[in-house]
Amino acid sequence: MSESTLTEAPGAHPSGVGRPAPAGRRRSWLRPLLLVLGLVVMLALPLYVEEFWLRTGFAAAGAIVGAIGLNLLVGTSGQLSLAHAFFLAVGAVSYVYVSGEPGGLGVAELGGLGLPPIIGMIVGVLLAGLAGLLFSPLAARLRGIYLGVASLALVFIGVHVLNSWTEVTGGFNGRSAPEFSLFGFTFGNRDPELYVLEVPFREAERLWYLGLVLALAAYLFARNILRSRPGRALQTLRDSEVAASVMGVNVQGYKARIFLVSSMYAGLAGVMYALSIGSIAPESFGLELSILYLAMIVLGGLGSVNGAVLGAIFVSALPLVFQRYADLIPFVGGGGLAAGEAARFLFGAAIVLVILFEPAGLAGIANRIAGRFRRPGGRVTEHPPDTPTRTSEPSPSDPPAQGSTT
Amino acid sequence: MTQFLSLLLNGISLGAMYALIALGFVIIFKASEVVSFTHGSLLLLGAYSIARLSEPLGFLLAAVVGIAITALAAFVIERVIINRLRGAAVISLAIVTIGVDIILLTELIRRIGSDILNVPHPWAGGSVRVGDVGISENRLIAIAVAAVLIGLFFAAFKYSNWGIAMRASAEDGETAALMGIKQGRVSALAWVVAGVLAAVAALFLVGSPTPGVSPSTYAVALRAFPAAILGGLDSTGGALVGGLLIGIAEAMAAGYQDQLLFLGRGFSAVVPFIVMIAVLMFRPSGLFGTKELTRV
Amino acid sequence: MSAPGAAIDVRSDVPPVQVEDVTVRFGAITALSGVSFTVEPGTIHAIIGPNGAGKSTMFNVLSGVYKAAEGQVRFGEHRLDRMRPYKIAGIGVARAFQNIALSAGQSVAENLMLGRHHLTKAGFIAAGLRLPLATREGKLHGARVAEIADFLELGEKLHTPVGVLSYGDQKRVEVARALCTEPRLLLLDEPVAGMNAEETHRMAEAILEIRAGLGISVILVEHDMGMVMSLADRVTVLDFGRRIADGTPAEVQRDPEVIRAYLGSGDEIDPSEAAEAAAAGASSSETPGMPS
Repeated sequence: MSESTLTEAPGAHPSGVGRPAPAGRRRSWLRPLLLVLGLVVMLALPLYVEEFWLRTGFAAAGAIVGAIGLNLLVGTSGQLSLAHAFFLAVGAVSYVYVSGEPGGLGVAELGGLGLPPIIGMIVGVLLAGLAGLLFSPLAARLRGIYLGVASLALVFIGVHVLNSWTEVTGGFNGRSAPEFSLFGFTFGNRDPELYVLEVPFREAERLWYLGLVLALAAYLFARNILRSRPGRALQTLRDSEVAASVMGVNVQGYKARIFLVSSMYAGLAGVMYALSIGSIAPESFGLELSILYLAMIVLGGLGSVNGAVLGAIFVSALPLVFQRYADLIPFVGGGGLAAGEAARFLFGAAIVLVILFEPAGLAGIANRIAGRFRRPGGRVTEHPPDTPTRTSEPSPSDPPAQGSTT
Repeated sequence: MTQFLSLLLNGISLGAMYALIALGFVIIFKASEVVSFTHGSLLLLGAYSIARLSEPLGFLLAAVVGIAITALAAFVIERVIINRLRGAAVISLAIVTIGVDIILLTELIRRIGSDILNVPHPWAGGSVRVGDVGISENRLIAIAVAAVLIGLFFAAFKYSNWGIAMRASAEDGETAALMGIKQGRVSALAWVVAGVLAAVAALFLVGSPTPGVSPSTYAVALRAFPAAILGGLDSTGGALVGGLLIGIAEAMAAGYQDQLLFLGRGFSAVVPFIVMIAVLMFRPSGLFGTKELTRV
Repeated sequence: MSAPGAAIDVRSDVPPVQVEDVTVRFGAITALSGVSFTVEPGTIHAIIGPNGAGKSTMFNVLSGVYKAAEGQVRFGEHRLDRMRPYKIAGIGVARAFQNIALSAGQSVAENLMLGRHHLTKAGFIAAGLRLPLATREGKLHGARVAEIADFLELGEKLHTPVGVLSYGDQKRVEVARALCTEPRLLLLDEPVAGMNAEETHRMAEAILEIRAGLGISVILVEHDMGMVMSLADRVTVLDFGRRIADGTPAEVQRDPEVIRAYLGSGDEIDPSEAAEAAAAGASSSETPGMPS
């Protein structure tokens, strides 16, 4: 057929040298430069920005972690889950219980282990993972859409438990979350008192950095997964479970494992949520939270890690911004809509519009804009590898027989 | 024993309403491959419209107009959004209905606020006793109406052109299309029928012993989702069985809540979901749902 | 490229495929009834038949997607009829799908790397943390993937998303992905369907070279009779789920029942025409004749 011939690979181990691995793409110097620049800005932000934005930033960081986790499950693997709020709750409650002090609050007698917050955080992530693991055998057996409805169950059961198990959760009043601290350094207002360039670094400033580190770690971990063996397996099983299994992917095993990973992400997001609000309450972890997370990944772009980040920032920050600047935004505040309502209308409409007109979400739009700035006649295709095409209408370039591969 | 019979009767009544909602859920899935998460807010729309229109129009006319409004809303959603997405992935379709649900629900809750809107049923809060077994008149009428509607539905599904067309397109969309069946029309009609069923269920759900229409009516509607799933998403008979099963289980848990107190107050509201999980553990496609045959 | 009649070095670890009395039912419909045939190591074995004859069902049984109601499928010491699809892939059975089942959003390289799935180990932790195991593995297997892509003339397109490739290219990616699993048995489901004459010819050459270069068995479902007759060592003919003939291409072409099946079904292929096409193909180009 061609000049090159095919010979048997020596055992299962192919010859080492040759061309570079396909994963190694040509990269321009521009991208790392922008990344470094962005990071410097992020690091310097607390010196210049008021507390509101830093607090919003930490809330967004928590949402980023959770949204990346949900996107791995829904966007990358095609498993619709509305249970995300439940796993956030497991993480948040575990943290509050493990690191909280026992004590009474009115009639309710609260338990607490009083362990260092970092232990609480780790336990929160692990227990959320365990909850995911317990549910995963069922999740792996259900067809995508059955999972969507079945996962509703976890949210309602979760809220019920939060309301009932007063000793641990504080009941319907909730309970406060202990400050985070690491090796004696408190992410609060003192212990130690801290000034950087004469700017006081209090809770908001400190949490900002914590959020930055955690979100970055969550981001890198997810990107690495997507670009390697497990990521490829997940994306293929989303597109066709039969094809994936025939190519050697243990479909049920992978569905179960991604459920585990996703719920661990949610657990961390839950801990960060508790830190951001300073307390937990049952109504925070209802169906609405699950739907907000779904909104994040749909708006951002299903299957794209960058998209999850953009979507999380947008969805988590918008209500806060609306609230703060209610006077400046038409229709919001005063006799108009409450900030939360306005944000919800916007999210709902945005979900519908994105699915109808821009299935790749914000990430897709960003890519297109970035594509404009590149040289024309460069590489023809600018899909990132993790952009799903499943949800899009068949494009004219699609081959005729492709519709029937499910 | 008396308590048990009474709970059973109430459970059947509740289940009949869940069955109406679940039937709509199932026919939408059969006709347009959409799992409609809009169904909860559609039901709330029906309840809200009936409650608000009762004052100017009187109960009967308000009920008719309210049902019509709900059906119209379902029709518009299908035409404006779902119809454009024909052939899209099931998951995208489900998500788009969640988007619609957010909009509709936000608006309804904003309008209802913290009020409880009363629907002036002519049968009001009366109750009926057969021996020692008691049930509210509202619930009793609900059983009768649901039985008639479900009977009509199954007859239509079996014999009418629409029913045949719908079953054909659910079976094999492409072939049905070749035979001249307009899938768009089948799907639109399915949404309308589902809207009607949901609004009728709403009419009774907000009557005695429930105080009236409030945002929590939406939560009641959500409990019909497990009914559809555990019966099997593509099985109309399954929706009926699932609805009754969920209704009875919930009523029992509510009735015996003193004995179940160790599971927490308000446990009965969670029971439908627990029943669903239990069924799915053993039958991942529900009790009567068909397993998907993979074609490659 | 193998010369006509060249001796093929059969890999020593390629066992025969023995299909014995396989029956598959879907509800009341019997898709396959009592089908048997044997694929000798290192041969190209074609399964043909009119539409709806059960060819794809047979492939689904071989790759574990469908379970046979009766009968068994042996591959050496393995019972394919009792194994889950991913386990079957793990013992060296690869399949290229008829309806392209690639991930359209992923690049050619990524689709091909999926073929290396059962040969590699990196899990979520190793991949997520970029442990040396994962990066080393990626490099090593990337090299082999590039080699296979070159062989199927996809080297230039390694980083192109599959969704934007031409139909013929996508079909080649399907075959390449199957090859990337380093199979001992390669199942090709209509590898040239929808291709033009030139592409078909090149694919035929590639299949012969795969068999010659790797010494593996190939089972081929194909509608293109010219291709079947020129490539296959042996042909099994199915009709309405039954085996109606089994033999060398020449034997099968003369079989009265085969002729009846094709003429009677109104299928687009007439075996006598197909034979002529095959003869023409063999004489007019360097397409190798039937290795005997």
